[in-house]
Order: sequence, then C-alpha cells, then structure tokens
Amino acid sequence: MIDVKNLTVRFGGVVALNQLTLKITDDVVGLIGPNGAGKTTLTNALSGFVTVASGSASVNGLNLIDMAPHQRSRWGLARSFQKVQIVSDLTVEDHLATVLDAKGANRSLRDKAIVRALDYAGILSVRRVRGVDLNPFQRRLTEIAKCLVGAPRVILLDEPGGGLSETEMKELRKVILGIHPEFGAQILLVDHDVELIRDVCTSTAVLDFGKLIAYGPTAEVLEDEVVKAAYLGRMGAAND
Amino acid sequence: MIQTLSRNNLIILVVIVAAIWLLPLVLNSLWIKVVTSAVIFGLAAAGISVLFAQLGLINLSQIALVGIGGWVLLRLNYATGLPFTISLVAGGIITAIISSILALPALRMRGLYLALVTLMTAGAFQIIFNAFQFPNGGEGFWGVAQQSAGAFRRPLIAQSDVSYLRYVLTVAALCIAVAGVHRLTTPGRAWAMIRQSEANAMAAGIDVTFFKMWAFALSGFMAGIAGGLLAGALQQLDARTFVASDSILLFALAIVGGVYHWLGALIAGLLFKLLPALFNDFGVSADLTLVIFGAALLHAIMTAPRGIAGQILSGFAGLVKHRETSHD
Ligand SMILES: Nc1ncnc2c1ncn2[C@@H]1O[C@H](COP(=O)(O)OP(=O)(O)OP(=O)(O)O)[C@@H](O)[C@H]1O
Ligand SMILES: [Mg+2]
Repeated sequence: MIDVKNLTVRFGGVVALNQLTLKITDDVVGLIGPNGAGKTTLTNALSGFVTVASGSASVNGLNLIDMAPHQRSRWGLARSFQKVQIVSDLTVEDHLATVLDAKGANRSLRDKAIVRALDYAGILSVRRVRGVDLNPFQRRLTEIAKCLVGAPRVILLDEPGGGLSETEMKELRKVILGIHPEFGAQILLVDHDVELIRDVCTSTAVLDFGKLIAYGPTAEVLEDEVVKAAYLGRMGAAND
Repeated sequence: MIQTLSRNNLIILVVIVAAIWLLPLVLNSLWIKVVTSAVIFGLAAAGISVLFAQLGLINLSQIALVGIGGWVLLRLNYATGLPFTISLVAGGIITAIISSILALPALRMRGLYLALVTLMTAGAFQIIFNAFQFPNGGEGFWGVAQQSAGAFRRPLIAQSDVSYLRYVLTVAALCIAVAGVHRLTTPGRAWAMIRQSEANAMAAGIDVTFFKMWAFALSGFMAGIAGGLLAGALQQLDARTFVASDSILLFALAIVGGVYHWLGALIAGLLFKLLPALFNDFGVSADLTLVIFGAALLHAIMTAPRGIAGQILSGFAGLVKHRETSHD
C-alpha cells in the first residue's frame, strides 16, 4: 500500500505537488493527468529524486522520505523512467545484474532470476546484446525487466508506452497486465494512453496542477466530467 | 568480435611477456632505466584511465598520488625491516585511502570543476613535497638527512636493474589485471550505470558515493604502487619529479594513448618517459615535447577517442579478419 499524505514538492515558484493526499491500495493503479500535472514528480518523490517540502509518503507502512534512493530500491521499490534509461555498453542481462548486485543476490539464483524476467518480458533472445544495439521497444522492455528482478514490492512505471507503435503497445499491455500475478508487486502506472490504463488498472488517480482531481474505479474516473475538462482544457491551451 | 578481441589480447600479452625477457638482453643500462620508469608511469596512467573510462571523471592529481606511494615506501624502508613487496602494497593501500578521501569533495562535481579541484590537490602536494622532501634515512617522521644515512633495499629477487625491470613489469601486469577484473564484474557494471545516469544507478539500488570512492581508491592504489616502484627504481625520490604540471601531462597522454585498453596506458607511460629522453638524445628542447603532446591530445579528442591503442587494436582486428576471410 502506498500512502501519501499532504505531500508538497516545489521547484522554485512552481508547485509541482500541492498538499497531495492519496492512498493506493489496489494491486495495479493508474495515474493520469495532463502534461505538467505532477505525475513524474510523484514517482520521483516516492523513489527519492526530488526534495519534498512537506508531507509524508510511506509504502507498506515504511516511511520512505528519510531513505536514500538506493536504499529504497534495495528495499524493493523499482521504477522505470519516462525517458528510457539504457547504458550503451552494458548488455541486457548486465542491466538486470546490476539490480541483483545491489541487492546482494545469491549467485546461483541470479542467472535464474535474470532468465525468468527476460523470458517474461519476451527479450530473452537479446540477453547478450548491448544497449546501444537495442531498438526502442527492446529498450523499454529491458527497463521493465530490470524492475522485475530481485523480488520487487512496488513498481512505478512512468509512461512505459511513450513513443511505441500500435503492435508494440499491444505487446506491452500483455506484459504489464501479467506483472502483478506473476511477480506479486504492486504497480503504479503513469501513462497518457487511456486504452492501456483501462485495460490494466482497476483504479485510477487523476492529477492536475499538483492536486488530486479524481480517484476511483478506472471506468468511472475516465467518464468523469472534471477529468475530461482538465484534459480538454490543457489540449485547447496547447493548440493555441 | 569478442573472440577476436580476446585473441588480440592474448597475442599482445605474448608479445609483452616476450618483451619482459628479451628487453633486458638487448637494452643498454641507460635504456633499461628509461623503460622501467616508462612502465611505472604507464601503471599510473592506467589508474587515470580507470576514472576516465569507467566514470568519465578527470583526475589531474595522479602524479601527486604517485609521490605519496613513493613517500610511504621510502618511509617504511628506512623505519622498518619490512620486505620491499610488503612496503609496496602498504604504499598502494595508503595511497588508495588518501585518494578516496580526496574524492569526497569531488563527489558532487564533474568535468571542469572536478578537474580544477584535483589540480589544486596536485598543487598542494607539490608544495608539501618541496617543503618536506622524501625520506632518505634521516631522523624523525619526515626522515630527511643532509647526507643519506640508511641503506635502500630492493626486492631480494630483483637486486639488479635488469631483474628489477622484470619485477616492475610483473607487478604492473598484476595491477592492470586487477583493474580489468573490476571492469568485468560488479564494480564495472555499477560504474557503467553511474556514468550513464546517476539517477538511474540509484534506482537500480547502486550506492553511487561508495562506487565513486571505490573507483578513486583503485585509481589511487595503482598510483601508489607506481610510486613505490619508482622509489625502488631510483632508490631515492626528488620533489621535482612530482610537480602538478606533470599530472596534467600524464592525463593528456593517457587520453592520447587510449583509456579503454591497457595498451593505451603503456603507450602513455612510454610517451611520458621515452619521448623526452629521445628528444634529449637528439638535442631537441624538452618544451617541444609539450607542443607535440598538445597536438596529439587534440588529434585524440577530435578524431580518435579510443586513442592510439584503439587505432592499433582495430588495425590488428582488421588484419586478423582479412587473413581469416582470405583463408576461407
Ligand atoms: N526538475 C525540475 N525543475 C523545475 N521544474 C520542474 C522539474 N521537474 C518538474 N518540474 C515542473 O513541475 C511540474 C510537474 O512536472 P511533472 O514532470 O511532474 O509533470 P508530468 O505530469 O509528469 O507531465 P508529463 O505528462 O509531461 O510527463 C511542471 O510544471 C514541470 O515544469
Ligand atoms: Mg512525466
């Protein structure tokens, strides 16, 4: 369970998260909102990459705010980045190995864990390919597979569907849908793709200007007039 | 590709082992001394490469760290009866610790700022070395006497200059092998992650501070061992050897030689010691070497980021490939 209370994050004059309170209990939860709403900032606050001005955040009862980012990761908080993070001269399996290195995983179990995650993500065939030689979809899947090794408890996925083609999206939907049953981690999924959110998230939270404007069962939230207005309002502004 | 590369490695290794045995037989005594210090500074350059190739960090204080390793070895030589090799390792470890402490203020910096901090460190040690000189058997902590009193002990198996060159080559090869193992295991993977993005490394659970300090420690260890070996080669050290400008020069040559392969470090050491000696032989001013090195650095940065070693190795790989295809 992810429990956020009165969380505020500021960047100079910009209030990216404004007294946000949110209790995430479902296994797979969506987080949506227009550009600049604060979605990435919330994932960053949970994983420790931004300074929190006030408020608290805990996961499964553990207070996160005092922990260094790498400690949060070792505890079992995995995340992917909106801008995909792949190291050119590391192989796919080395990307996963770094996570296991940090968690001090047993050597004999390590290879099994890597094969399982890569096989699940459908990229076992490229396990020895270097990052530089991967296509964008394989990069995405490598980042997701990296979140799956080492017994994660909570996985934050920041726009994993960004920039993918229709068929790739289909593939990705299947992968994300199976993560919770297969690996048992709770998932917070940030995405603009409503289809993806509708398919995989039982409940969804909507942010706008750093505030929660809607939260509940996904189908209801997506029909909410306030949510539609927030998206349309922003799009109108973007088209000006 | 990996196979041809490791085969190249093997061939080069064979060439170097052969060199260990052959060189002393063909070189005259002056050249044995020059090659010995070239290999020693090659080891120090390999330490620079660890930081630059693995983490993209610029360290301009390597020569100062060589001085620290040398100081510790001389200090232990005169203060204790420890065998040379033990003192050598102690010097390496102490230098590694100092190097990782010096890394602390540098942890939040990159690029030019880090370079400036390390250069200031080099300058500070230049002043310290000048003020206190190197132990030569005198009294007290600094152990400096007007007239050297004590006796210097080289390793038992390496008393002569010829056998000492073999000792140096062996120790340097071991240190570079240790660095190579680092590259292929946990630290190497962590460094690669950190180099690409510190946030991403932290998200993978990597303790960025720890692994940066580890890289500085390894780099410092190689410098410290190099310093001890240099003390053993010359049997004394002079503060004028450890000026800050030489740290800059060695860094530039490490880039020119190539930071991604140990061959590059060896080339850097050879350029650092051999070229000035050669130019001296030809009666050319030593200042001219600086101009040549500067031009070589520009060439490396602009057209050959893998340095001379990269060019040699790809030429080699091309040759092997050519032979293979013509055999088919
Ligand atoms: N490092 C930063 N420095 C300054 N401002 C920032 C920083 N990160 C985010 N912001 C600002 O905070 C606000 C929230 O940004 P955030 O990236 O969380 O939005 P988002 O919901 O993830 O948007 P998108 O859908 O475009 O990814 C925006 O106004 C953004 O400009
Ligand atoms: Mg975002």
